[in-house]
Amino acid sequence: MVTIGASTSAPARKQQPGHRPTRGYRVFRVVNAVILTGVVLVTLYPFVTIVARSLSDNAYIVSGKVNLIPRGFNLAAYKAVMADPMFWTSYRNTVVYTAAATAVSLVLTTCYAYVLSKPQLKGRTALVGIAVFTMFFSGGLIPNYILVTSLGLKNTLWAIALPNAISVFNLLVMKAFFESLPVELEEAAAVDGLNTYGILLRIVLPLSKAVLATMFLFYAVSFWNSWFAAFLYMDRMDLFPVTVYLRNLIAGATDATSVGGGLGSASDVVQSAATIQSVTIVLTVLPILAVYPFIQRYFVSGVMLGAVKG
Amino acid sequence: MVQLSRRQLLFAAGAAAVVSVAGCSDDGDKKDLADNRAGAMDKYGVGDQFKATTALSFSMLYNNHPNYPLKDDWLFWSELKKRTGVTIEPVAVPLSDYEQKRSVLIGAGDAPFIIPKTYHPQEDAYVSSGAILPVSDYLDLMPNFKDKIEKWNLQPEIDSLRQEDGKFYLLPGLHEKPWQDYTLAVRMDILEQLKIPVPQTWDDVYNMLKAMKAAYPNVYPFSDRFGKPNPAGNLLNMLALAYGLQGAGWNFQHTSWDASAKKFVYTGASEQYKAMLDYLHKLVAEGLLDPETFTQTDDQARQKLASGKSFVISTNAQTLVNDYRPDMAKTLPNARMAKIPFPIGPAGPVNPASRLENGIMISTKARDSKNFVAMMQFIDWLWYSDAGQEFAKWGVEGTTYTKDSAGKRTLAADVDVLGLNPKGTKHLQKDFGFYNGIFAYGGRLELVQSFFSAEEMEFQKVLNARPTVAVPPPHPLSDAEREQVTLWETPLKDYVYQNTLKFILGQRALGEWDAYVTELKGKNMASYLDLINKAYDRYQKKHG
Repeated sequence: MVTIGASTSAPARKQQPGHRPTRGYRVFRVVNAVILTGVVLVTLYPFVTIVARSLSDNAYIVSGKVNLIPRGFNLAAYKAVMADPMFWTSYRNTVVYTAAATAVSLVLTTCYAYVLSKPQLKGRTALVGIAVFTMFFSGGLIPNYILVTSLGLKNTLWAIALPNAISVFNLLVMKAFFESLPVELEEAAAVDGLNTYGILLRIVLPLSKAVLATMFLFYAVSFWNSWFAAFLYMDRMDLFPVTVYLRNLIAGATDATSVGGGLGSASDVVQSAATIQSVTIVLTVLPILAVYPFIQRYFVSGVMLGAVKG
Repeated sequence: MVQLSRRQLLFAAGAAAVVSVAGCSDDGDKKDLADNRAGAMDKYGVGDQFKATTALSFSMLYNNHPNYPLKDDWLFWSELKKRTGVTIEPVAVPLSDYEQKRSVLIGAGDAPFIIPKTYHPQEDAYVSSGAILPVSDYLDLMPNFKDKIEKWNLQPEIDSLRQEDGKFYLLPGLHEKPWQDYTLAVRMDILEQLKIPVPQTWDDVYNMLKAMKAAYPNVYPFSDRFGKPNPAGNLLNMLALAYGLQGAGWNFQHTSWDASAKKFVYTGASEQYKAMLDYLHKLVAEGLLDPETFTQTDDQARQKLASGKSFVISTNAQTLVNDYRPDMAKTLPNARMAKIPFPIGPAGPVNPASRLENGIMISTKARDSKNFVAMMQFIDWLWYSDAGQEFAKWGVEGTTYTKDSAGKRTLAADVDVLGLNPKGTKHLQKDFGFYNGIFAYGGRLELVQSFFSAEEMEFQKVLNARPTVAVPPPHPLSDAEREQVTLWETPLKDYVYQNTLKFILGQRALGEWDAYVTELKGKNMASYLDLINKAYDRYQKKHG
């Protein structure tokens, strides 16, 4: 083995004390950095384009001249979108739905996962099986719709929060995390007189911030981005989240011209300016983007901790 | 005593069940409407204003348009209530996913009474479930609808909607005259510069492109848009119509009617289709048609036009005014773009547009409502009477528009729509709820054209002078047949699309046409045609 050069980086040293990185490893790291930078650029590009478009003049977008830098800089579209009361109504709905649904999901998933993590639980395999079953089979669209409607959930927040409250993937990750906590801690707490709920609330949960933050992120992002449940179960415009508003804006703009024959579409033709679309996209994505950096530090440890024990 | 075996008993029970079910479905409930007349007018005929005798409300699926989102305080709603005594309870669905929600609601038995914005043959899917009312049984409640069909000779068009039971389930929008919107737009300044007359036929179009190419060898004079959902959707469709076929491209129709042989032929295997592919191949081979037409997005095509890299493109009235002209205003200030009359092909001069429009389905549940008759009268008035159509389109006289003694309507000074009155501060669609795609379509020629620009009127005048295209005879399929046909259709269509492009772009020589037809036969084309033609014969015997 050849070891050339004295420069070693911190993480490598930590992992292999006493060893210097091999040449192969350093080549790997360069290649790795190049590829990952490429991936970052590819991921970043569409976003930067959308931001640039949102700040540009519509004429430049239509003629295909806007790429990474805004042209004909103006904020008119931002003003126009923000002046639409329906946008804010939808936005408020999204915030409310996301907050409520995430809270419900966190509570339910935590309870279920904690119970499942206890080996002494009778019928544990069956309970896991029931959850996993729903990963592969679902009732189908129309039965689901009938169920939600006949429960009287239509046009309420619960139609969004309840049917998707427990994501089985999240449940299993959380279960694995709880299983990895040392049993001795809970035993000691029990000896000191805590009951099950006390153990969960005062011992287990404070130690599980990493996984809770991760779950929060997973759920919040998925509820923020979801549109289908709202579209299906809401019959009034003032109940739609911003994703449905946005989808209508974009799909409407592309659909109307492509309806074959075009008859009668004159009163239907959508001229939703490209800028307006971009602005709405930016405004919709922004909050969730802002949440990421604060939660990200929990992110890796949260998911990985569970993974070891599987 | 005869000992019956268990099997015989089962059979007998099954047969009895079938008979009783058939007995029920035999329009036994159709005749008696005595219990369903609450709120209806005793005498309601053509020219009458419908007014419910008590205040009524009906639920309706509402296709919510992002450009003029639903508002509760629209003048449309309050005025409608004042005139008819009816309140509509809209179930708002975003336009982007209207069809999906419609099918969930119908499937779950939760559909509103009135289901508008249905494009034939979308209603086919719901017929067998029984969730949709066979409206043809109740036309007696709709005097205006019947009157228009008779006055405008729309019976053949209406017959094309019939299902296997001889009934139809969709109330279509009706046009007095067909309205062909799509055609080619051409740079008129280039035509003048090269001293070419405005082309009338597809051969003229070819000659024009050739002359353009000669003068500008570095451009593809024709680069087309409307490539969704399939490449060159509109161009292929226009050509197919001009060659006497039922439709291709984005309006692909598997079968076309051969009037002389009195049978259906497969569009994608017909001689006419071959001829039009030959024509397009010639355009591509001689560098007249941009090969990227078949791959580019609409925006790319617009950019080429706006930057002077092409001179001809598909258009409708809206894209001409809203896309091309504003696009070019900055980049090519001297360019002048205009529609040319729909080019004539071997089928001779025809107006290829249909006189039917998207329409309304009625939920079967509505039939049991005590207000059913009133609802049908209401629908008849709002969607099919002259007064109702004028109301839905123009609004309230004196508020949103004025009418002079000659009957010509003008928008009120402060009302704008389609940019006709740019100084107006209120919008006819956004602020008043009129000229709404759900309520306002079809009608008398004069009404349909009342928002047209002078230029569009000129174009329509030329097309209206041409005879209306004949409608293929009805050939409704049974449920089992429809299922079978659906299985055959997708691979057939994909194969036609694929090879259409290959033939046009020259990847496959037209000399291989016969081989291509044989390949289509390998994909059940013959069985498909057989089934359609049998359905046609069957319908002729039963109802013809």
